[in-house]
Amino acid sequence: MHFSIRYLTEYRYGSPVSDNLNALRVRPATTSSQRCDEFHTRIDPEARVTRHLDYFGTEVLEFGIPTGHDHLTIDVRARVVTSAPPEPPHGPWSALTSDAYVEAAGEFLLPWQDQPPIAGIEELEASIRTAADPLAALRLLVELVPDTFEYRRGATYVGSTVSDLLAAGAGVCQDFVHLSLVLLRRHGIAARYVSGYLWAAPEDEGSDSLEVDTHAWLEALLPGVDGRGEPVWVGVDPTNRRFAGETHVKIGHGRFYADIPPVKGVYRGGSTSTLGANVQMSRLDPQAGARA
Amino acid sequence: MSDTTAPPIDSYNPRAPFLDELFETDGRPREVARALISELERIGAEGLTEVGRRRDATFLRQGITFETSGEDGPTRERPFPLDLVPRVIGGDEWRTLKRGLAQRIRALNAFVDDIYHAREIVREGIVPWRLVVSSPNFARAVHGIRPPGGVYTHVAGCDLVRHSNGSWKVIEDNVRTPSGISYVLENRAAMTQLVPQLFANYRVRPVDHYPQLLLRALRSVAPSADSEATVVVWTPGSLNSAYFEHAFLARQMGVELVEASDLVVRDDVLYMRTTRGLERVHAVYRRLDDDFVDPLEFRPDSLLGVPGLVRAYRAGSVAIANAFGTGVADNKAVYHFVPEMIRFYLGEEPILENVKTYLLADEEVREHVLSRIDQLVVKPTDESGGKGVTIGPHATERELEQVAAAVRAKPEAWIAQEVVRLSTVPTVGPDGLLAPRHVDLRPFAVFGERIDIVPGGLTRVALQEGSMIVNSSRGGGSKDTWVLEDGDDADRAGPPLADVSSPPALPEMRYGDAWTNQQQQQQQEPQ
Repeated sequence: MHFSIRYLTEYRYGSPVSDNLNALRVRPATTSSQRCDEFHTRIDPEARVTRHLDYFGTEVLEFGIPTGHDHLTIDVRARVVTSAPPEPPHGPWSALTSDAYVEAAGEFLLPWQDQPPIAGIEELEASIRTAADPLAALRLLVELVPDTFEYRRGATYVGSTVSDLLAAGAGVCQDFVHLSLVLLRRHGIAARYVSGYLWAAPEDEGSDSLEVDTHAWLEALLPGVDGRGEPVWVGVDPTNRRFAGETHVKIGHGRFYADIPPVKGVYRGGSTSTLGANVQMSRLDPQAGARA
Repeated sequence: MSDTTAPPIDSYNPRAPFLDELFETDGRPREVARALISELERIGAEGLTEVGRRRDATFLRQGITFETSGEDGPTRERPFPLDLVPRVIGGDEWRTLKRGLAQRIRALNAFVDDIYHAREIVREGIVPWRLVVSSPNFARAVHGIRPPGGVYTHVAGCDLVRHSNGSWKVIEDNVRTPSGISYVLENRAAMTQLVPQLFANYRVRPVDHYPQLLLRALRSVAPSADSEATVVVWTPGSLNSAYFEHAFLARQMGVELVEASDLVVRDDVLYMRTTRGLERVHAVYRRLDDDFVDPLEFRPDSLLGVPGLVRAYRAGSVAIANAFGTGVADNKAVYHFVPEMIRFYLGEEPILENVKTYLLADEEVREHVLSRIDQLVVKPTDESGGKGVTIGPHATERELEQVAAAVRAKPEAWIAQEVVRLSTVPTVGPDGLLAPRHVDLRPFAVFGERIDIVPGGLTRVALQEGSMIVNSSRGGGSKDTWVLEDGDDADRAGPPLADVSSPPALPEMRYGDAWTNQQQQQQQEPQ
């Protein structure tokens, strides 16, 4: 699929702020099933933007506005082509302990640092254990999480933990992913947090432009077919009860949200800010119209 | 009380099997210590007690104190306990130590560089990657950044102990923000004031050029093209337990002592605020942990530090000493691999030995260790300053059970080591008499264009009889450490720096506004 994405963030400050430093992780990645053709950023007030790749390979855009200002606009535009990923491989549980798997998994197998015990997670954990193999565990997971928890904005906040989700019984995609990561890692399946954009058009509607939000899903490392062959990272979207496909536009991945926040910044000044953020996604393929 | 005038030495009994550094096992002074012991006898027990009183009064007046946190009460200020009997190290012996330390620090520096770049030591299967990535001090934010001069471990303090067979062993590496150098300098100054007669028959190598060495090293890595590099010492503030040292070093180097609110990053360049406006900073000797240096990186929940500092560092516009991320090398599990690092990076055999160490992630090793936990020392991998250490032979049944449970719960967070029989040095007791007390040694190395090590270092002494806990926060004291001159002065500092100018004064005013952060939660609605 062929998309244009516009990610617009606007802050308005109650009184002027200064030294506003921000780091953006918003550029669609180029992967085996996705290509970013065009990418532009515009900052207002104007600022010099520098780029580098972070530890996880995500492009980071950084800028700073030293002098006083009462608003900040971050306007990001991208064009992306995606294709459907190959069918996920079937491998046995026993393949998760092979050297090849553990090496490919790296730190995405490790529990969070200093993670306190999570009350009430045992039952969910036990359900995953009933799956016949790791691929079946993923299929189970994408139903289990949304069956157990309600999607509700405001139930959690940006710094919420898995325990917060369990206590509230509700959360947003970020929380669903964090919980899923814990569940998979506890069963020896390496899993990483993915940040990106989702073309969230209902299948039976032919809309060609949508207002969306940044989205979070995860990638799990599945052992190769029959336990042989290379392990493969497979995208899984527990918020939407399915595997990630060509509707998912990946920005990058990390161990958890804090490794890949779309916009992270600090500024000097105690004034409160109001945030307006929206992502406008449009389908550019000629067949989009035909389907409608 | 006529017996207080008795010589303080008569009753001295070295505690076999421990090695005493000044006495033979039969109780006679070692040759190198004879003149020193004679002088101490001349001063006498009463004299030593009197000098001790003068020392405490002076230290309190000068603010050379530290806080003890007793188990039964609040912290209190005490004069830093300097024992009046120095430790003596021969010139030959010191040369070996110095070579061993420099070798070790080069290897540790190479390890830090490797871990944040090619990871060759991991690919060769020498150090497990899992050990690196599970360390809370592994700094992903500085992956791929090579600091000015390729130096990461500008200031290193490796802790050494001397075994009963006379061999030196490294017990711990400190390559984050090791402290204690100010005590080395103050101890020497105090000793020459209080007991100048002890120095009469010795040529003791000076230590007071340390601030020059440090300043020279910082300038040598500072990225300043044409002008004189501006160096600052960054302290977390006057509430920090080592604040005295931060202020001391800044004053001695003639540079500004700053806090986060004095610093600001503009366009990837670090500045400090002065009465004349912003002044560019080229090198920062920082005395606080990675977690608190830049709220845009490291801890997402912290608003402390200087936003953008990691950007400036990445851009190569400022040198940070020690570099961000060095904590990955002084993890106590990584310590186990230092001899291998020396072979791998330098192609040399280690000059200094490690203490036999067990990594507890391996189940077989773990069970073996737990079966004899009462004979071993168990340490958390990422703490320093003796925090969380359990010494098997000295622990209660209950303490051993607790640490065993902690090890089973998170094996990779712990290591075990064989107990080292720390050597002893005669130490003045409250009665003015000398008794053997256990010691370790922390030499301080400075890495700029080359590695310089101040002769000696901080000798820490456990003041309680039989105790091997030398940390000052837990009742330890210190001793002046003498390295004797024998003609080799290769590590002399050279002439003092002529250009230690007085730094510009900072305005009294600090930035009043707090930092605020902005982040967006990911919350795309389900379809």
